[in-house]
Amino acid sequence: MPSTFFEWVGFLVNQYGALFLQGAGVTLLIALVGTGLGFAIGLGVAIVRTAELRQEAGALPRALLKAVKGLLAAYIEIFRGTPMIVQAMVVYYGALEYLGLDIPAMTAAFLVVSVNTGAYMAEILRGGILSVDAGQKEAAVAVGMSHWQAMTGVVLPQAVRNTLPSVGNEFVVNIKDSSVLNVISVTELYFMSKSAAGTYFKYFEVFFITSVIYFTLTFCVTRLLRLLEKKLKGSDSYTVYGSQSDAKAEIHVPKEG
Amino acid sequence: MDEIIRAEGIKKAFGSQQVLRGIDLSVREGEAVCLIGPSGSGKSTLLRCINLLERPDEGRVLLRGREITKLPAATLHAKVGMVFQQFNLFSNMTAFENCLAGQRRALRRGRKESEEKAVYYLSQVGMLPYRDARPAQLSGGQKQRVGIARALCMDPDVLLFDEPTSALDPEMVDEVLRVMADLKKGGLTMLIVTHEMAFARDAADRVIFMDEGRIVEDGRPGDIFAAPRHERTAAFLRRSLRDTRG
Repeated sequence: MPSTFFEWVGFLVNQYGALFLQGAGVTLLIALVGTGLGFAIGLGVAIVRTAELRQEAGALPRALLKAVKGLLAAYIEIFRGTPMIVQAMVVYYGALEYLGLDIPAMTAAFLVVSVNTGAYMAEILRGGILSVDAGQKEAAVAVGMSHWQAMTGVVLPQAVRNTLPSVGNEFVVNIKDSSVLNVISVTELYFMSKSAAGTYFKYFEVFFITSVIYFTLTFCVTRLLRLLEKKLKGSDSYTVYGSQSDAKAEIHVPKEG
Repeated sequence: MDEIIRAEGIKKAFGSQQVLRGIDLSVREGEAVCLIGPSGSGKSTLLRCINLLERPDEGRVLLRGREITKLPAATLHAKVGMVFQQFNLFSNMTAFENCLAGQRRALRRGRKESEEKAVYYLSQVGMLPYRDARPAQLSGGQKQRVGIARALCMDPDVLLFDEPTSALDPEMVDEVLRVMADLKKGGLTMLIVTHEMAFARDAADRVIFMDEGRIVEDGRPGDIFAAPRHERTAAFLRRSLRDTRG
């Protein structure tokens, strides 16, 4: 039997390496799917919540939009106002006991994380949409674009780019917070660690390894997101083409300062 | 000459504030008309009613004899172009892409034709060398020239200018006014809200003075500047010309 801390760590990594990896894989998958779907949900909700109907649209569509907006506001309040661990229990056992649905733990995990993330994303993206100045929307309308064309062509690309840091943040949060899903027996990293620790009663050593894995995951993801941000921001420099005397001249204008 | 824009009895209120109190206006083909008047007199609101960025409460606007509320939005906005005080360029696009967006999306024009038009009008305003620059990389005057090119790409019947030089540093005002004077020579129909009295005097075919939501005076710039018929016009011109060294 190993005796020192490091011997135990080495032993446990050897013994349960596959388990840890599998758990990390599930954690990453849940975070990825949850953030992706959550982003899609949030985008849809944010678009509806920032939509305005003109007076001329008529009373019924305006009332309908108002009702939908009310429902969406309730969704956001409820899912931001309760812990995800409780949401997981309510969804999983609610489906089992009241709907007679024995949904697989993974499906419940995807559902809970997506819908929970969606509530946060909706607010993040709503802020992003509102941060694009109204003048650009107006200019889009003034060159004949419909509301939808203005949204997809002008407003949303800027809104998404501006909110990317917060969206990335949600991804990191999801990597960590998916650990609460162990309460419905999702085989993510925390659940796997708990099983591994129980065998030899080596909680500190196992969870030391677990924290190293979580940190590695979030650190790598943060770096990748930083790179993506830089790419989406576009080049700082541009080229000035031609001149009065020489049409082939090119001046490369680098970033200022 | 054909009448391009005709406004009849336009009234518009924001809340309890009556901004336009019955405006009749006509702009003929090839005319450059300058709207002048004190701040809050309703000039910009009138402009915005003409391309339906605002809905008038009463009255109607005709574009070549057709009521604009009955035109498809894309057609109306293509035919009645707008240049904004704050430029309002799409900041996620280059100068070139700004000129393509409306043509491609709203007019569904082919790529080749759209690009040819964009190149043509960018070069007309002297901004072709900067076609790959994004708005954040351009000066105010350059942005406004791109804004003008973007509007021209739609082949408008009339171009509305909403204080196009008011947000510019003084040294950039002239480059934009020069472009506008060139467009006037090229026969473009223009309706311009401006505080540039020298430009109104020298480049406009007609000057309209507005005050408190009404048109007070409408005439040739020579007549209005030399001998305004109303005391309110005279007082406004005295104030404005004192402030301008034009």
